[in-house]
Amino acid sequence: MTSRGTPSRFLKSVLQNGVGRYVCQLKRISLVFSKNAQSSLGARHFIEEGVVDFAKKNPGTVVYISPEPCRIPRIVAEYLNGTVREEAITSKTSQQISELVTKMANQSGLDIIRIRKPYHTDSPSIQGQWHPFTNRPPADGFIRPPGKETSS
Amino acid sequence: MASGLLATRGLLAFGFQYQHACRSVVITQTRHKKRWMRSYERIMAEKLKMEGPSPPKRRSEKPNWDYHAEVEAFGVRLQENFQLERLKTAFVNPCYVRTEQEKRGALGLDPEVAALNLKDNLELQTKGQAFIQGFLSDWVRASFPSLPAEGTAALVSHLMGPEVACHVARNLGVEDLTMSAEFPVPDEVLYSTFCAVVAALEESSGPQRAGLFLRDFLTAQLIGKDLFDVWSVVNPMGLLVEECTRRGLPLPEPRLLRSAGVSTVLPLYFVGLYCDKKLLAEGPGETLLAAEEEAARSALRKLYCYTESCRPLDFSPISPQTTSQATTTQQALSSG
Repeated sequence: MTSRGTPSRFLKSVLQNGVGRYVCQLKRISLVFSKNAQSSLGARHFIEEGVVDFAKKNPGTVVYISPEPCRIPRIVAEYLNGTVREEAITSKTSQQISELVTKMANQSGLDIIRIRKPYHTDSPSIQGQWHPFTNRPPADGFIRPPGKETSS
Repeated sequence: MASGLLATRGLLAFGFQYQHACRSVVITQTRHKKRWMRSYERIMAEKLKMEGPSPPKRRSEKPNWDYHAEVEAFGVRLQENFQLERLKTAFVNPCYVRTEQEKRGALGLDPEVAALNLKDNLELQTKGQAFIQGFLSDWVRASFPSLPAEGTAALVSHLMGPEVACHVARNLGVEDLTMSAEFPVPDEVLYSTFCAVVAALEESSGPQRAGLFLRDFLTAQLIGKDLFDVWSVVNPMGLLVEECTRRGLPLPEPRLLRSAGVSTVLPLYFVGLYCDKKLLAEGPGETLLAAEEEAARSALRKLYCYTESCRPLDFSPISPQTTSQATTTQQALSSG
């Protein structure tokens, strides 16, 4: 689909995050996996090795582990602005899951869609935005199209 | 008959699959297209259309919820040290306590046995609201010293209003932890919970940290906002005249600077306001009156130093060395 057919947004932050202090936008992450299935092998390894390190590195995020019979193990991430993102981790290795989880912790909850401009500013102009009358000497009468000046 | 014989053989006949739960119990399942599925889905869709979507559920009623862990993470996430007991009290609203007591009464439990040991956040609410009011007034006065009293009051009431404060509270995760009677949490309840949380922070870490918290989250909502979006002024020319007399400046005189397209559908007039023959500000407009009003607004923005080109608000972090020396609001104010 073209960019006109797919949704897009402008670059923004949730609540001007980072201006005052930086708040990690991930509030909780749930790891749903199966205790016996093949597809959850990476998830089980991640829980053995990597999840405690992740929880220590992100103390503001609550990590939930739920073993339940499921065919597709998944990670459910909830962000401060209410977005809930589910990612399937079927047959991923522990390393890949750890990278994915770090990536989710660094995201804000805004939609992952095309960003129209890679920049945003609240004060686009310091000296005042140019308009056709800036720096134009004031005219005596009405402003008319040029071509009326004669050589007299 | 024949199918019975085949069933006992356990063969994959007619698409049947067999699973032995134990030696005597066999569970059959068919994995191919289920003919009952379409009518079932149709009936469920009709039911949904008739009854509408199910009401939203609180986060605490969904799976994976540990209240104590969530409250702790709330404090750590905001890089603040809360006393957890006070914070938990701050989230309990009186409407919730009332409904809980009614529920327990309705269950027929003995009131002494099943007493609700929850304190609500009424006193924290009032304390928090007073603190926020005081801090915001001081901050606005320090950041925009030329702004008159009505302007300061307008800015403070905008920041303390339901839109801004509730927006901030929702995006900080306060709604999940709030204990209230209704869900989704109504704006007033959310606002009072937010005030109570600020009061809990003030009690736990002192008014200085609470001031920094408000500066970082609440006052940052003024970024990108124009003065007159927040403060509705009906007669900017009158206000400008008042301001000029207050400062001892001569009264502004409007002069038409330029006009273009006067006889067309979209005329453009530039009106400039002159104080003592010097240009104070100019503004464009479709009619002369609109241009004059816009020029008056532009002049007010210049006089109150609230232009787009003015010095941006200061959100620099405070070093721990200076904390002991400065007083409460001065600390947060000196940086913004």
